[in-house]
Order: sequence, then structure tokens, then C-alpha cells
Amino acid sequence: MLLPKESVQDMAKDVTYICPYIGALRGTLTVTNYRLFFRCMDREPAFVLDLPLGVVSRVEKIGGASSRGEVSYGLVCKDIRNLRFAHKQMEDSLRKSIFEILMKFAFPVSNGLPIFAFEYGQVYPENGWKVYDAQAEYKRQGIPNESWRITKVNDHYEVCDTYPSNLVVPVNIPDEELKRVAAFRAKGRIPVLSWIHPESQATVTRCSQPMVGVNGKRSKDDEKYLQAIMDANAQSHKLFIFDARPSVNAAANKMKGGGYESEDAYQNAELVFLDIHNIHVMRESLRKLKEVVYPNIEESHWLSNLESTHWLEHIKLILAGALRIADKVESGKTSVVVHCSDGWDRTAQLTSLAMLMLDGHYRTIRGFQVLLEKEWLSFGHRFQLRIGHGDKNHTDADRSPVFLQFIDCVWQIARQFPAAFEFNEYFLVTILDHMYSCLFGTFMCNSEQQRVKEELPKKTVSLWAYINSQLEEFTNPLYVNYSNHVLFPVVSMRHLELWVGYYIRWNPRMRPQEPVHQRYKELLAKRAELQKRVEELQRDVTNRSASSTERAGSPTRSITPVQTFV
Amino acid sequence: MGSFFILKNKYLLEPCASGEIVVNEVSFVRKCIGADSSHGDLWGKLICTNFKVSFITHDALPKQRFQVANRLLGEHDVPLACVEQVVTVNDAKGKQKVLCSNQKLKFNPTELVLYCKDFRIIRFRFDEAGPQSAKKVCLAIAHYSQPADPQLLFGFEYIGKQYYGSLVNGVDPGGGLQMPLFDRPSEWDREIKRTGAAEWRVCSINEGYVVSPSLPEYVVVPVSLADQDLKQYLCFFTAHRIPLWCWNHPNGSALVRMASISDPLQQRKLDQRICSAITKSHPQRSDVLKSDLDKNLPNIQDIQAAFVKVRQICVIEPFEESEEKWLSSMESSRWLEYVRAFLKHSAEVVYLLEGKHVSVILQEEEDRDLSCVVSSLVQLMLDPHFRSLTGFQSLVQKEWVMAGHRFLHRCNHLKKNDKEESPLFQLFLDCVWQIINQYPAAFEFTETYLTVLSDSMWIPVFSTFLFNCPQQRTENSMDFAKSKCIPMGEEKALRFPPVWDWSQQFTPKDQALFNNPMYVGKGATCVQNGTVKSFRRTKKNYSSTLRGMPSSLRNILMDGHDSLTLTRRNSLVPRLKPDFSQIREVVESPTERFFRDWVSRPADLQGMLIPQLLPSHLALWRLYFLRWVPEASIPKGGPVTAYHKLSQLADEVEKLQSQLRQYKGATPASTPTSNPSAPPSDHSRMYFKAGSTHEPSSIPEYLSSSFPFSPVGNMCRRSILGTPLSKFLNGAKTWLSTETLANEAL
Repeated sequence: MLLPKESVQDMAKDVTYICPYIGALRGTLTVTNYRLFFRCMDREPAFVLDLPLGVVSRVEKIGGASSRGEVSYGLVCKDIRNLRFAHKQMEDSLRKSIFEILMKFAFPVSNGLPIFAFEYGQVYPENGWKVYDAQAEYKRQGIPNESWRITKVNDHYEVCDTYPSNLVVPVNIPDEELKRVAAFRAKGRIPVLSWIHPESQATVTRCSQPMVGVNGKRSKDDEKYLQAIMDANAQSHKLFIFDARPSVNAAANKMKGGGYESEDAYQNAELVFLDIHNIHVMRESLRKLKEVVYPNIEESHWLSNLESTHWLEHIKLILAGALRIADKVESGKTSVVVHCSDGWDRTAQLTSLAMLMLDGHYRTIRGFQVLLEKEWLSFGHRFQLRIGHGDKNHTDADRSPVFLQFIDCVWQIARQFPAAFEFNEYFLVTILDHMYSCLFGTFMCNSEQQRVKEELPKKTVSLWAYINSQLEEFTNPLYVNYSNHVLFPVVSMRHLELWVGYYIRWNPRMRPQEPVHQRYKELLAKRAELQKRVEELQRDVTNRSASSTERAGSPTRSITPVQTFV
Repeated sequence: MGSFFILKNKYLLEPCASGEIVVNEVSFVRKCIGADSSHGDLWGKLICTNFKVSFITHDALPKQRFQVANRLLGEHDVPLACVEQVVTVNDAKGKQKVLCSNQKLKFNPTELVLYCKDFRIIRFRFDEAGPQSAKKVCLAIAHYSQPADPQLLFGFEYIGKQYYGSLVNGVDPGGGLQMPLFDRPSEWDREIKRTGAAEWRVCSINEGYVVSPSLPEYVVVPVSLADQDLKQYLCFFTAHRIPLWCWNHPNGSALVRMASISDPLQQRKLDQRICSAITKSHPQRSDVLKSDLDKNLPNIQDIQAAFVKVRQICVIEPFEESEEKWLSSMESSRWLEYVRAFLKHSAEVVYLLEGKHVSVILQEEEDRDLSCVVSSLVQLMLDPHFRSLTGFQSLVQKEWVMAGHRFLHRCNHLKKNDKEESPLFQLFLDCVWQIINQYPAAFEFTETYLTVLSDSMWIPVFSTFLFNCPQQRTENSMDFAKSKCIPMGEEKALRFPPVWDWSQQFTPKDQALFNNPMYVGKGATCVQNGTVKSFRRTKKNYSSTLRGMPSSLRNILMDGHDSLTLTRRNSLVPRLKPDFSQIREVVESPTERFFRDWVSRPADLQGMLIPQLLPSHLALWRLYFLRWVPEASIPKGGPVTAYHKLSQLADEVEKLQSQLRQYKGATPASTPTSNPSAPPSDHSRMYFKAGSTHEPSSIPEYLSSSFPFSPVGNMCRRSILGTPLSKFLNGAKTWLSTETLANEAL
């Protein structure tokens, strides 16, 4: 039952798990360096709770000892549930409670311990770290070409320490100028290419906000650079700059030296604000959502309660922004520049969702892995900070469910286009679960530079190694690989839904959707079997007619009995 | 010139239904198509017949689209029975008026807007048309869409003409139907046998409708009740409606529906007699529980109000403006709440029959509305037979048509029963859709079928939806036959086709849209071979950390404290905040435990099906409510893209099977001549056929979330923005109310 390098740290009998659905359950609690395991043998079959410690956001001791001499602990989890345990007060007051042990291993970073991903040594047939090769991906997109080149200027992460080493920039901007542009963009995150349309050559480029400041500073280099991005697309003489933020927030950023492109400075550019709120608003929205869905749903006001969390409204704004980007590129054949403040949260959501709509490759299992590796991991979405792996500081203002929102958006699109994705819902849930579990190295650290420095590919296993070792589990059998199928989802509350398969999955009153996929697989199996039989018969008939002409008069063999099943 | 016109008209106007006559017509009419401009509008002739509003044009629709064709209707036609409101507008004068029957119109309309029962909003402009003819057509539409008498409903002309045309007894609509209509004792007998209800019998005391006009001629009653007893009891029941047997559980428990007992003095005694008779019919002599539907469920006015609101939200309110408050508006309509209430109540009855092995009586004042919904849903959940297409149709026939659901009044076909109008049947279809949505492989039919069935309510030729009860059909038939000198012979009623005769409306190819390629029913393609059978659900439950939980519930003893009357529980489990400071006891009713226990096991689609009742698991039936809304239509997307793929695969499997059959049938000697590899005669059940071995390189254009319907030209709500009418509509709280609008126009 233990994983390689997993070891039991403590075990306690007579612990009570207070289940919000079925009440108190008494059993044995085990804590390892990876997980919490609770088993109640009074039930048939045994009740089991098995969760990676990585999902634990905080552990708190509740009140003092109760009249029954019990102490109780609450575990707030990152995956939309709270667990509550109680156990007898230790007679030996020197002995540590199992929950103190749990706290130690749930927050290894705060306790000077390694994250379990660095110990886990499972060997998989495929090295998941090889899934993404930036050069190969750009080559797939046809880059380098006459307008775009791959620059090595950031090879040692000197221009921008949160960017990847491979960057795609306009051909006619030399590296020296790139450095000057970097000086004008927050954190040095210059506009670089994310995706290029195979026909129109319209591009999706991403960056951070310009350092305009209160005085409306300008940068000739930055202006020239955006002009070069526009010029690289012969189809359009316009450039759209999508600023993910609400305009008020963008303006407020001027006080901190940031801001947005003025249309005076950037000729032929049109600036559009997408009204997506910041990480703090999103965190608060998810907190409210959790209150509404866990543990129980209030029956009488479900929809208005859901509305009051604004979760779907945020999802809608993100999808609407991505749709506008995709539409400009596909229908308008116009290049777009996307940024927010730093260009690693909302920008990552927007570019990756737009690319998912535009390019069917990203809707395959491997293509989606590439998309995440590229737009999220290599471009420095700060997973370590946003998730807070192994860190006990649960009130850290840097935590935010930005990536969860992105996956939710993917699920929403897949709901509208059930045959357009090679992967299924379980794939998305698995990615989220292992983002928290700390079993794989994939979502560790904040940037490519840190990952290289920590030698993650050497010291940890990639989530893709695990997923690609059992693709069957994650495949949507309804997938049809139509070429040039650009998805334009309807971004309306009429179609957006709460992802019950994720947010409400802990509720035992919910049955996972009877999968359409299951029936499809059954039909596939049946087709294969029937095809085999038909072929057998055809062979049989051919043989027989051959033999009957050769040896006329010999007793006719009857064909193989076939079961009929009508 | 003139003769040319007549010729052309003749060519254009071929009323497709027998008995149809043209009442009025106007040429040079523009049908609005586009949302914001006149671009793409169609020019043609607007005709009012005694059956429908017809628009005849040579112009093709601008966009490629798909709309399933109805044999009784042209592409642009609206049956008069489907017209809910006729609004005339003169935008120059800033006037509008809702037209009613026999009204005057003091202005020449420049525009006609038809608000339809199936949620379409169709708009015509008369800018180039003769003002007087336009006005006449509008008045005719208003007049003919509000018939004064049931016999003026088109179905009578339709069927009457068929009798004339068919000489003696050629009319046999529905004769080829392979399903019971429950108008004969033998069909009830078969149902008794099918369900193993040995202690129940067919009773014919109502033959000729002599004891109760709203009951069917044949009803099923406990064996222990003699006709004499029943005759003695019947006067104490509302409208003489004695208890009706609906269905028997294999464990012997019966589902019975009953009207209230009108005489309070007799109530106790009668209740006892009925209950003891039902108990005697139970092999284990189990108890009988009574479920008072009037007390526990919304009434017909509540349901109508919810329906009007949900329609308002879905199709009338401006799309963008209603986005922000969409969820709370949906909640305030209460439609989904009511859908859930009916599903939940039905599931609780299922628990009593299946889990507690007791018989259940559904009691309702008149036993003609709420009981229809609940008894049908209970049977759908418990009996897989009713999830097949013919099973479902026989269920509607049994629990709705024969049980005397007042379709004529609930549909408000005569437009004079506003207070009685209520979408009980639509509510039922929505409930069925919710179960289909949760268990997509359990039903033989699709959501398209349910939608088309609902639309058929507004084509007034089917016996199914024209009458309040079977007796009314007989009576009206006799009157009509007498007045039109139609020879009835031995027949008791005109043979209106039941809606179940789908060939009246659709080609066999289009009927394939009803078939669910995923269905795993008895009649469906089901492999009995080891290799496929071993194909089990290996998929991990997402909530794997919770595995093992539900069976733990079994230790808890079933208690017998459920009250005799089921009461609606708003919240069964106290709400627990993610707050650790208090320990709370989890209180769970036996019903809840029963449901949860069932949910924990893999669903057997050929067994009992209980819908998930968390409010988060009920969804808006988008195909039904949003199919005409252009902004809500997902191009090249929607559930149909999965249906497309599944149908093709199912079709391939069918083809292979038929190929195998041919091989098997082929004798060795004849092999060279017969050609088993040739495609078999095309009787595929699937709409989308397996194509060549190569997948098409691009997705078919016509697939959208509205498929097989199309919003193009069916929802001209947007274009009226900015006109005086739109100003008015924005302020209107509900579907245009006749009085207010009429008052507006002077």
C-alpha cells in the first residue's frame, strides 16, 4: 500500500472521523510522509479516507478538551473539503499527538523537510519531462520563419528570470533592443510569441504591463517592438492589445509604475480591457463557493447562492476574454498582444484558452500537456506561491485558484464540444488532484529557472509520466480529430454550469455521471468482435468456394456455427 | 398576367393536410430573419388557413441550417393552435394591439408578430403589402387561432375529410401501431399479466361512460372488490372517480391513484375499505400508504406561473441584459424547483414501493393532474419497460390520456380557459429529460423525441392532446359525425390518429432522430458474448477516497416512523458550515439512506433508476427552452456532436450484425450468388449513418446545439429593440398580457 520511499510516521487507534454525511466513525489513523490514511473497520466494506498531505491547507486544533476528554482537529483542504477528527487526550502529555506529526509532514517546507515529490522514486515507462520541447513545439508552429526567430537572449534567464530560455520574437528586433524593451515591461516580461496562425500568420503574443507610471512614460523601443509584431502579419494593419484587467485596476497600476499602452503612443493599436479581476478577488470567490457546496447544498436557494459567489461570472469573463482573442485572430486575422499586470496569471489563462480554441493540437492529451508546460510552467505561473506547496502559511495573500479556474474553463468548453477533446473529465480532475498532492515534480517551483536550478527533471517524476502510462483512463472515446475546427464556445450563463464532478464530488449523494464514454467503449468492443466474426466468415466462404471447385462432389462442410444475437 | 398569377398560386399553395382551406392571404410580405437588419429577410405570401399560418416563398434561407421537416407543415408554417398571441403593430403611428377573436383593428398593421406556444417569435412586415389584405389576414389569424368550440379545432375537418375520402372503412390511423392504447379490456389484462398483478382485475362498470364521464371505460381494481361494491362507493368520490390501479411492483406492491372522497362522513370508512382491498391484493398483505399530492406539491396555477416566468427569462428578456442575474432569475421562476419537487416526491414513492414493500395510493382532489405526473415518473423509475419508446408511449396513454388529463383545457386550445391552462405535461417531459440527462443510456428515446412530442401538442389533429377525457372524444365525435353526416358504423368515436402514429408527421428517416444510440435496453443491440460481457466498469470513482462509505449505512435499521402521509422536506440534512466549532449529529431519514445506498452501487440501467436530487444536479433543459435563441446556439457544438459520433458507431454495429445474419442465412450452395458483403436493405435505426472508413475532415456545418431545430427566422426578438413595441416588451413582466396590451392601443 505504501509508495516507494513512503514511510509510516505515526499511527493512532481510536481516532474518530466526524463525517459530515454519516456522522462519527471510529478507526485507525495513519500518517506517512506522503499521506493521511484513516480506516474504520466497523463498516462493511471498511470505510477508508486516503488523502495526500499536500492537499491540506491548514490544520487547527479546535477548542480545549471536551467533557469527554477528547481533543479535536480540523483539516481545511485545498480540494474543497474540510475534515474533522477527534481523539482522546494523550495521557502521556510528553508524547506528541498524531496531529502534530501530521502538521510536520503536511507542511514540509515550513519544517525544513523535503517535499515528497523529491523522494518518490517510481519508475514509469516514459520520462514525462520530455513531453515538452520548446524548439519542437515552435517548429510545429512553423517557427522560425521569415518574420519570427527564436532568441537565446534569455538562455541564462538574465533578461527575465521568470521567462523560459527559448523566446520567439520578431526577426528584425535584435537582442540588444529586446533588453531595452525588457526595461520598459514589468519584471522584464517582454512581448513574445505564444502562437501563430498557420494560414494568416496572425499571432498571439504575451507580456506584462508597460511601465508607464503616473507620468505616462514612453519607450520608443517598446513602440517599435509592437509595430514589428503588427508588421509580421501582412493580413492586418492593426494590432489588438488585450489588457486582462478592469480598466480601473489598470489605471490604478500607474501609481505603482505600471499601467497600460496609450493609443497615442502605439499607432494602429487598439486597447481592450477584459475586466477580469485579480487573484485576491478570485480567492475570495472560491472561498464563498466552498461555503455553498461543502459539505451540503442548501436546497432552497441553490442558484442564488451560487450566483452570490460570482464564481461562474469570473469563469464567464475569462472565457469571454479568450473568445475575443481567438475571434480576433481567427476571424479578424489580426495579431493580438495579451497582458495583465505581471503576465503570469490572467495572461496565462487567456493565451492558453485562446490557443485551445484555435489549435486542435492542444486538445489532444499530449498537446494539452505541451500547452500547460508552455503557457503556464515555462512562462512562470507561480505554482509554488499560488498553491503554497508544503507551506503552513495558509493566509498567504499570494495563494489563488488561478489554475483551477483555467481547468474549470477547459471543462466548460469541453461540455459545449463533447467530441472536440481527446481527454476526458477524469484527466482534468487528475491534473488538479496532483497539482496539490506534491507527488510529482510538475507543479513545483515558480519558474523554469527555479526548476532547472532544483534539477526537478532529475530529482522528481513528472505527472505526465504517470498519465501517459495509462492513457486509456484519460481518453475521451468520442473524440473526433476534425481539422481546422476552431471552437467558438457560447460564453453565456445559459451554458455555463458549476462543475459538479469536481466541486461536489465529496457528497455521497452524488453519483459520478454515468459516462456516455462507457457505452461508447462497449460499442467499440462489440464492433471489433463483429468485424472479427465477419472476417472469419468471409475467409471461410472464400476457402470453401475455393475447395468446392477443386474437389467437387466432396461433402460440403457447414460453416462455423454462429451465435445470433439480435 | 392574372391567369399567370393564379397558376403560380396554385403551384405554391398545396395545403398539405386534408380538410384544409384557405381563409385569407396577402402577398409581398417580408418575413424577418436577421436579428438587427432586414438583410436576409424573405419575401413571400402570408396565408391563413383553417389549420395554420403559412408563409410561402421562393427565397432560400440565407444561412445554411437544419430544421427537421414536419409532413403536416411547411418550413415556415405555424399551426393556429400553436399561436399564443397575435400582436399587430403600426410603427408609424406608434400603435400596437394584441388581437383577439372577433375584434376590430383601427389601424393598418405594418407588422405582425406571432408569439408561439413552442416559444418561437415570428415576425412579418407589411411595408410593401396591401394594407387592407394585411389587416384581413391578421384578423383572420386572430379569429381562427381562437376557436369557439372544440369541434372547430382543425382535427375534426382533417379526420372528417379522411372519412369522406376513404369510402367505407379505409381509415385506420394508428392501425399499424404496435402499442396498447388502453381502450380495450384485453390491453389492461396484458398489463396486469406483464406486471404479475394476480390479485387485480379489469372492471367494466364504466363501459359507455355510464358511471363516470372522466374515467376510461375499463379500469383495474382489486379482485376483492366486486362491481356491486364499487357502484356503491363511487358516489362518494369526486366526479365518481373510483381508485385506479396503475402498476404492480414485482414484490407485489401496487401503485394506485385516487380522487378525494367528497363526503367527509364516509371518508374513514371508505378509506378503510379501499385500503383493506388493496392489502388483500398484496401477496404479503402489506400495508397501504397514502400520499396526498395536493398537500405536498405545487398546484397547477403555481406551475403555470413558473412556466410563464421561465419562458420570459429564456426567450423574451434581452439576452445580454439578463445574463448577470440569470441564475437568480431562474431560481425565482421556481420552474426547476418544481421539477425537482415532482422528481423527489416520485422518488419517495419509489422508496415505499421498492424499499418498504408497501402499496401506495396517490391521492389528488380530482386525480387528473399531479397524479398523472407522479404515477408516470414512479413507473419510469421502477420499470425499464417504460423507458423503451413504445413503453413510454403506452405509459402516457395509460396515465394521461386514459386517466382523463384535461389536455384540452391544460393546453388552452380554445384560448378561453386561461385559468385552467397549465403545462403539466411539459413539466413531466422536463422531469423525464432530467433522468435522461443523468442516465443517458437508460432510455430508448432522445431529447429530440421529447421536444417533438411536446411540439405535437400544438398540432390539433391528434387524439392524444385534443380532449379532456376519452368520453369527450366520443361525444364530440358523435356530434361532429352527425352534423357532417359521416357514417360512423360500429365505431364509438372518430379515429383521430394518436400522436404515436409518428408517420403522420415525420418520414421514417427523421423518426430515426428519436432513437438513442446508447440505449442498453432489451430490444437494443446487446452483446451476449463473453468478450464483451466482461467489459466491466473499471473506471475509478473520482471520489475514491470515499469508497466504502455507503454500505456502512446498512447497519442502521430501517425505522417505521415515516408518517403515513409523505411530507415534503426542504432540507433533510442540517446544513453544516465549514466551521469546526460544533459537533452536530447527522440526522438522516430512511428514505435518504435508501437513496444514498442505491447511489453507492453501480446503476443497473435495466433496474430501478433514482434521479440525483441535489439541486446542483438539475439542469435547464436547453434544447427545449433555448433552441430558438440564436445567441444561445453553439455552432458545431452541443450534445448533438456526441450523438453524431455515437449514432455512426451504433449504425456500424447494426450493419455488421445484419451482415452476419445474412451469412448465417446463406446456405453453402448459394454462397457465390448471394452477396453478403453488399449493404443490407437500409432499415438502420440510426439517423447518422456510418460513412466511409475515413472520418470526415471537417465537422458538419448543420450541427449546433439547436439541432434538429434552427433559430433562423424563428426568434425575431432582437430586431424589435428600439421600436415602440420593444420598449413595451422590456417593461412587460410576463408574456404579453392581453389586457394591458389591448389597453395600450387606442
